Amino acid sequence: MKVLCTAIAGAVLLILGILTSISVGASDIDASMVLKSFFEADSSKEQTIIRTLRLPRALVGALVGANLAVAGALMQAITRNSLASPQVFGVNAGASFFIVSAFVFFPNLSSVSLVCVAFIGAAMGGMAVYSFASGGGMTQVKLALAGMAVHFFLSSLTQGMIIFNEQAKDVLYWLVGSINGKTWAHVNMILPWSLFGLLVAAMFSRSVSILVLGENMAQGLGQRVYRIRILAGILVIILAGSSVAVAGPVGFVGLIIPHIVRRLVGGDYRRIIPFSALFGALLLVYADILARFIAYPFESPVGIVTAMIGAPFFLYLAKRGRNIKQ
Amino acid sequence: MKLKRTFGLKSTLPPYSIILLLTVTVLILAMVSLGLGAIYISPLEILQNFLGNGMQSQTFILHNYRIPRILIAVIVGAGLATAGAILQGVLRNPLASPDVIGVTKGAGLAAVIVIVLFPQSPIIILPLSAFIGAAVMAAILMIFVYKKGAQPNTIALVGIALGAICQAGIEYFMVKFPDDVNTTLLWLTGSLWGRGWDQVFILLPCLVLVPVLIALTSKMDVLSLGDDIATGLGERSKLLRYILLSVSVILIGVCVAAVGSIGFIGLIAPHIARRVVGSKFKVLLPASALFGSIFLLVADSLGRGLFPPIEIPAGIITAVIGVPYFLYLLRRERKIT
Amino acid sequence: MTGRVQNMREFRKVRTFGGGAFILLLAIMVMLSGCNNSQKTTEAEKTSAKTSNQEIRTIKHEMGETEMKDTPKKIVTLELSFVDSLNALGIKPIGISDDNKKEMITKLVGQEMDYTSVGTREQPNLEVISSLQPDLIIADAERHKGIYKDLQQIAPTIVLKSRESTYQENLDSFKTIAKAVNQEDAAAKRLSEHEKTIKELKSKLTVDSNMTVLPAVVRDTSFQAHTSSSYDGELLERMGLKNAIQQELPHAEMNLEQLVEIDPDVLLLANNEGKLLTDEWKDNPLWKELKAVKNGQVYSVDRDLWTRYRGVVSAEAIAKDTLKMLGEE
Repeated sequence: MKVLCTAIAGAVLLILGILTSISVGASDIDASMVLKSFFEADSSKEQTIIRTLRLPRALVGALVGANLAVAGALMQAITRNSLASPQVFGVNAGASFFIVSAFVFFPNLSSVSLVCVAFIGAAMGGMAVYSFASGGGMTQVKLALAGMAVHFFLSSLTQGMIIFNEQAKDVLYWLVGSINGKTWAHVNMILPWSLFGLLVAAMFSRSVSILVLGENMAQGLGQRVYRIRILAGILVIILAGSSVAVAGPVGFVGLIIPHIVRRLVGGDYRRIIPFSALFGALLLVYADILARFIAYPFESPVGIVTAMIGAPFFLYLAKRGRNIKQ
Repeated sequence: MKLKRTFGLKSTLPPYSIILLLTVTVLILAMVSLGLGAIYISPLEILQNFLGNGMQSQTFILHNYRIPRILIAVIVGAGLATAGAILQGVLRNPLASPDVIGVTKGAGLAAVIVIVLFPQSPIIILPLSAFIGAAVMAAILMIFVYKKGAQPNTIALVGIALGAICQAGIEYFMVKFPDDVNTTLLWLTGSLWGRGWDQVFILLPCLVLVPVLIALTSKMDVLSLGDDIATGLGERSKLLRYILLSVSVILIGVCVAAVGSIGFIGLIAPHIARRVVGSKFKVLLPASALFGSIFLLVADSLGRGLFPPIEIPAGIITAVIGVPYFLYLLRRERKIT
Repeated sequence: MTGRVQNMREFRKVRTFGGGAFILLLAIMVMLSGCNNSQKTTEAEKTSAKTSNQEIRTIKHEMGETEMKDTPKKIVTLELSFVDSLNALGIKPIGISDDNKKEMITKLVGQEMDYTSVGTREQPNLEVISSLQPDLIIADAERHKGIYKDLQQIAPTIVLKSRESTYQENLDSFKTIAKAVNQEDAAAKRLSEHEKTIKELKSKLTVDSNMTVLPAVVRDTSFQAHTSSSYDGELLERMGLKNAIQQELPHAEMNLEQLVEIDPDVLLLANNEGKLLTDEWKDNPLWKELKAVKNGQVYSVDRDLWTRYRGVVSAEAIAKDTLKMLGEE
C-alpha cells in the first residue's frame, strides 16, 4: 500500500515537475499554453519553443536523472557499499576526462562516437577505482579515498591540457554538468541507451536482490553471482556513460536517490531499481528548475544544484559511517 | 605495530645516516634546481655568482626567483609532509593527509571567495583568508572527531565529505563569476610561479614549530599506540591530540596560503619515510619533512624545466606523480576497516 | 633493556641531526636573504646612476603610479591588446607572452615580427622577462596583479585593464601606454585619426536606428553574447549600432530560447574551431524564424580580432569588417 502511494505520488510529482519545467523560461508562456500544446498542436512561436526546446530539455533531465540513480543503485548493490555511486566511483570523472580529451584532440567527433568515448572512459574510471579500492575488502573509506584520488588525478590532467591549449578552457563549464539547451538530438542520443539499460536493470533486479543478500547465500547459486556482477557493471557503464556524454558529469544523483528510495520502499531491489529511476528523474527535473534561478536571468548548470544538495548528504552518510545493513 | 607490519620494508641503514643522506640529497637537488629553468645557468656560473663575480642578469634571476622558490619548495614540502605525518599518527590512519581531511579544500573555498567577491583587496588578504579557511575547516572536523568519539576512518570520510561541500561551493563561484576563473584555477592547482621572498617570510614563522615538535615526538609515539594505552601510561592524550592537530593545521594553513593547494605531498612523503626509517616519530618526522622537500623541489624543477618558457604548476606534477603511488598504497593497504 | 638504551641513544643522535638540518637550512636562508637585500640596493644604485636630466613622467595605472625617465626602448607586454597599442605607435615589443602561438601575434601585427616569447599570459616567465632586461613592462590588471612587485624589480611596470576592459578603457590605456613610451604627441595624433576613421566608417554605415546587433562567441557547447558593455559591443554602439542586450555585465550565456526572445536584427558570430552549438540550432524551426536568419544578417567574424586583440588598430579593423558586412546591401 505504502509502495503504491509512493509510486503514485512520485509519478504525479514528476509530471508536475516536467510541466513546471516546461512553463519556466525566457519567454513568457503560461501553463494553459503548455497544456494546449499537448492537445492542439500548432506552429505558433510559443508552441515551437515548447516542442523543440523545453520539452526535450525536461526529457533529457528526466532520463539523465533516472540513469544516474539506477547506476548508483546497482553500484551500491554490487559493492554493498553505501557510498558507491557514479560520482564517488570515478565513473563520471573517467567519462568526462575522455570526453574533454576528445573535445580537445578530435573536435569533430560525431555524437555516437562521443557516447562510445564516454563508455570507454566510464569503464576505465570505474575499473581503476574498483581495483584499487577492493584490495582486502572494499570499505567505505577506501572507496571514498580511491574515488577522490582518481578524480584528483584526472582533473589535474585536464588542467594540464588547459595550460597547453587555451581553447580547452571552454570545457570547464561543461565539467559541472548541465542540461541547458538540450534538444531532441540529445534525447535521441541518450534514449536508446537509457531504455536498454533501465529495462535490463529492471529485469535483473531479482538477481541483484539475491546478490545483496550476501555472497555466502548467493554462493549456492555459483557462477551466477559472478555473471550478475559483470552484467551490473556493464549496465552502470552504459547508464552513467551515456548520461555524461549528453549532460556532463552531473554529480551526486546516484548517491542520494537509492538511499532515499531504500528508506521509502525497503531493501528489495525489485522495487529499488524502478523507484530509483522515478525519483532520480524527479530530482534532476526539479534541480534543473532551481538552477534557472541561481543566477537569474542566466542559466546555471544543474550540476551545481545537485552538488549543493548532494555534498551535505554525503556528509550525513559519512557521519553515519557504516555500510548498508543487510 | 600495525603500521610497522604494513610498511615493513625497513632499510638496513641506521636511521640517522639515512637522514643525513636525505639532507645531502635536498642540498644537491637545490643546487641542481638553481641551474634549471627557462634560462640555463651552469654549475660553474652558479659558483661564480656565489663568489660575487657572475653575470648580473644571472645573479638577478638567481636571487629574485630561483633561491626564494627553492626555499619555498623546501619549506612547503617539509611543512606539508610533517603535517601529514602528524595527522597519520594522531588519527591513526595511514591514509590521512591534508587533502583527505578537507582542510586544503576549505582553504581553497576561502581563497576563491576572496578572488571573486573582493577582487580589489590587497594581495596579502589572499593567504590570510586561505589560512582562515583551513582553520575553520579543521575546527569543524575536530568538533566531529571529539563530539562523536568517532573512529579514525569516520574522520577521513567526514573530511572527504566536507571537502566535497567546499568543492560544490568552489564550483558555484566559478560558474557564477566566469571572468575570474583564470586566477582561481591557478591558485587551486597550487603553483610556485610568481612566489618570492614575500612568501618565504610568510613561511619562516613555521620554523618556530620545529622545537615544539621535537619536544613532542616521544609522546607522539605513545599516542599512536592508541588512546587506551596512552591514557594508561599517564599521557593526557586528548589535550595532546588537540595540540598536535593544531600544529598540523597551522602548518597546512601557512603552506597553502603561500603556494595554493598543492596535493598529495602530505600523504606520500610520510609513507615513503615510514618505509625507509620506520614509524618512530623521532626519525619519522625529519625523514618525512626531507622527503616532502625533495618531492616538491623535483616537482617545481620539472615544472620550470620541461617546457620553457611555459611553466607547469607544481600542483599538477605532484598530483600526476602522487596519485598513482597513493592508489598503489591503497591497494596494498588491507588493514583499514 | 640495553637494547632500549641503545635505541634511545640512537634517537637522540637523530634528533640532533634533524634539528641540525633545520638549523643549517635556517642559516642558509638568512645568508641568502642577506644577499638578496644587498642585491636590491645595487639595483637601486644602478637606476639612480642612470638618471638623466630629462623630465620625469609619472604614469598612473591600476596598481598606483610609476615614474619613468627616458624613452623606453625594450618593452615587454603581457597581454595582446598592449601589442596592438604599441603597434599603433610603430613600436615593436621585444618580449610578448604569446601562449607560445607565434602565428597569433603575426596575425595581430600583420607581419612576421622578431620577439621573444615569455610564456603564457597566465603564467609569464619572470626569468625570461628579466633576461631580456626590458626598460618597461606592461601587464594586465587581473592576471598579473600578484606578480606586480616582481615585475617592478625587473623594470618600471604599468598595470592596465586589458581582458576586462571596455572600449573606452582601452583607449585610455592607449594614452597611458603612449605616455609611458614617451609618444604622447604621436598617440594623440593617432587617436584623433582613429576617431576620424571610426566616424567616417560610421557615416558610411546607413542603418535604421532601431536595428539591434548582437556579437557573440560560439563554442561547441555554449553561446556567449557580448552585451553593450563588452569591448566589441561598445565599439559597435559608437558606430551607431544598438546592442540587443543593454546591461552592465559584459557577457551573457544564452540558449536558443533566450536568443529567440531577444531576436536581434544582426548576429555577428565569433566562431570557435570545430563543432559549434549554432550548427545544432540551425535544424530548429525557431532558428529559421530569427529576424537575422530570415534577412540573411548572420555573419561570422574572426574570434581573435573581435574578442582577443583589443586595440586601436584592431578596433579599426573591426569597424571596417562591420561596414563591409552591413554597409552595402
